[in-house]
Amino acid sequence: MDSLLTSAVAGLSAGGAYAILGVCVVFTFRLVAVVNFTATALGAIGAFVMVFLTEAGYPLVPAVLTGLVAGTLASVVVGFVTTIWFSGANQTVKAAVTAAILVCLIALGLRFTGGQHPRAFPDLVGGAGLRLAGVTITTASLVSIALAVILTVAVEQFLARTRTGLQLRALSERPMAAELLGVPVRPLALGVWAASGAMTTIALMLIAPLRSPDFGSLSLLVVPAFAAALVGMFQSFRAALAGGILIGVIEGLASGFVELAQYRSAVPFLVILTVLMWSQRGARWDEAR
Amino acid sequence: MKRDNLLAAFKTAALVAAVGGLCLVLLPNYWIFLVTAVFIIGMSLQSLGLVVGRSGMISLCQMSFAGVGAWTVGYLNLIGFPGGLIVWMLIGGLAALPFGLIIGIPALRLRGINLAIVTLGFAVAFGVVLGTITYPGQTTFQMVQRPAGFDSDRGYFILVLIVYGISAVALEVVSRSRLGASWLAVSHSERAAASLGVSVPLSKLSAFAISSFIAGVSGGLLAGYMGTLLADNFSMMQSLVLFAVAIMVGAQFPLGAILGGILVALFPELLRRLNLPQDLGSVIFGLGAVQALSTGETMSETFGRLIRKMMPKRPAAGGGDETALPAPRPDTGAPNALQASGITVRYGNVVALNNASLSVPKGKVVGLIGPNGAGKSTFVDAMTGYLPRYEGDVLFQGDNINALGVTQRARAGLRRTWQTTRMAPDLTVGQYVDLASGGGLTDAEIAAVLDWFDCPPAGELIAAVDSGARRLLDVAGVVAARPPVILLDEPAAGQSYAEAVMLGKRIAEIPQRFGSSVLLIEHDMDLVRTACSEVTVLDFGTVLAAGPTAEVLDMPVVKKAYMGIDFEHEEAAE
Repeated sequence: MDSLLTSAVAGLSAGGAYAILGVCVVFTFRLVAVVNFTATALGAIGAFVMVFLTEAGYPLVPAVLTGLVAGTLASVVVGFVTTIWFSGANQTVKAAVTAAILVCLIALGLRFTGGQHPRAFPDLVGGAGLRLAGVTITTASLVSIALAVILTVAVEQFLARTRTGLQLRALSERPMAAELLGVPVRPLALGVWAASGAMTTIALMLIAPLRSPDFGSLSLLVVPAFAAALVGMFQSFRAALAGGILIGVIEGLASGFVELAQYRSAVPFLVILTVLMWSQRGARWDEAR
Repeated sequence: MKRDNLLAAFKTAALVAAVGGLCLVLLPNYWIFLVTAVFIIGMSLQSLGLVVGRSGMISLCQMSFAGVGAWTVGYLNLIGFPGGLIVWMLIGGLAALPFGLIIGIPALRLRGINLAIVTLGFAVAFGVVLGTITYPGQTTFQMVQRPAGFDSDRGYFILVLIVYGISAVALEVVSRSRLGASWLAVSHSERAAASLGVSVPLSKLSAFAISSFIAGVSGGLLAGYMGTLLADNFSMMQSLVLFAVAIMVGAQFPLGAILGGILVALFPELLRRLNLPQDLGSVIFGLGAVQALSTGETMSETFGRLIRKMMPKRPAAGGGDETALPAPRPDTGAPNALQASGITVRYGNVVALNNASLSVPKGKVVGLIGPNGAGKSTFVDAMTGYLPRYEGDVLFQGDNINALGVTQRARAGLRRTWQTTRMAPDLTVGQYVDLASGGGLTDAEIAAVLDWFDCPPAGELIAAVDSGARRLLDVAGVVAARPPVILLDEPAAGQSYAEAVMLGKRIAEIPQRFGSSVLLIEHDMDLVRTACSEVTVLDFGTVLAAGPTAEVLDMPVVKKAYMGIDFEHEEAAE
């Protein structure tokens, strides 16, 4: 029982990062209607910039900040392509565009980061945080979960209460009408990409030390990110938060069993399949079909 | 058309044989080995083109399906299963099929990007599993045995060529069949496809099933080609690259699959000879896919367009003969073809239809008129089953059909057209009518129906047909099915006056010629007077009047509501 609890708690750290990623995916989808397959690859760019700087002997804080800027810029570039070049395209085409860009990013990323050769990612927040009921919760998991919760609340409040948030909601529901009303559509859309790029980069910096930190594996974290977002049906930030943490915990539990440990990366797929099967119950004819 | 299909299948087979023969004669062994890979990858691309190109969905795990096939072949080889590679390969395809179905189920009713997400998830999960269980015989260096007679590199090339040819011809035939037409129709509009009596889930599932089977077989071929395989051969990245290439070249076209195979198999060789890094290929494929998506034209289509430009134009096919029109279906004997009583539809607090009733007597054309927003199309949606809920009863030939879904109602013979046409532009006119008619018509009958409605010839692509003619084609499609009841939703919108009058005459003749009863929704009063013996007038969701056309149109209350003679009333309406 105790060991089960320990493994579940061990998954919290990844769960917090998944939650941040899931919230970012929902954020991008709700506001600019793009299911972004490149999300985590873009964050990985930022994370690797940070690693290169620390390896070159720069101190941690400027390295992290530079990485953040790099991830944000990369995200803006992809955002530019999808929202400006493909502004009139439907959801499927936009998703296909990001999937095609992902192919380029992974190929380039693997080349510039030395292929499968893992890098020494610094632990941004190390050490044991607190002990509860005989189980140690690491500072890293506390920080990532706290960040995820803060992010969720902040995004919800921002959209609900600020003028920019109102404009963003207008943009997401009727881009054309919003543009005619004088909402600065392009800057706002790129702003959404910048914000989600920055947040994704943070999540990847947190989770990288826990994984085999090569560019390909980090890019694949888009799968748990989508799984978390699907729990919220790409609409609810809170459900995505819960979904992300849940996936982390299930993965942690799976690692607790010797026979299952190697298959833990299949957990997000099972979550996706379950959520999709469940959510089909009420599907009906709507205009879009 | 059927002869065209045979001809196309024969052309494909001849082309594959000619290309393969040329390779065998001209190329040295090293290149034969490389070109074998072109056809194996070409087969995976064919399978992907089915889902991505024809059904319009994103699938990112095609190499995982191939991996299932390859693993099965490896396992059967290891245990010495009888039958050899050819049998193992087919079993491998069958093993991949259930995976395709399970992955496809989430995309059955939820559209959009769900399939992309679930397939990416599967690709990653499959990579993890295969990395752990490893390829059968990998640790003991046991190679997959090639079948006797095909064991040299040249021999194996011939085997691959034969399998590729069979699958190319089969796909050519299927994609020209009504099943293939249904894939295009579903990918363009599920609502419209269902109104033609196409079962949307079955159509999608068949695409997934065939696609994963072919992918599985191509994996089996790959197993025999390489002897042993690694998890990396089937990683998510491989599937992603294949997806990008499929988008770039247009893998749903025979030319595209070959072109893509050449790119994937030979481009790295080219880069190697130029001393360039081989991963440059993936970058170029990704960019090529973005380019194809932004122009909306794949490489195959570009080549096709350029080639057609150089070819002389073929004369249009001759018109149909009126005596060749298909005969009406046998009568069932129910007095009223369609009877809707007490239909009420609410959207939140808005009552779109309030206790509205109408009947379509057998053998008649009746009209449903009313100002914009009166609830006419809602009425059609309710009767044909598109609304999640409504109150009241719909009786079709005397049976209550409230419990039936859209496709079932369409198949039973309650058919509709759309106010805005929703035909897949990639279908030809003839394919569309064949699909809409439910099958069983000869080419001559299809041509006769098209001619009767003044539609473009059967060989024309719908993309090349103007919107007025598309509306006529929509009508021709339902009429060709000769169902007991046809609901026409503003067929004359966008037509010139002369066309509308001619259409009115044709519609008036439908019951006698095709045995269908018609409900006509129209704003064009001349058309209504020409075609309808009775009309029902709707206003604000309630039935204002019903009866013989001339009488009803002369009623003051109808003139007030519909013709806008009473100005006070019109102001109140706004």
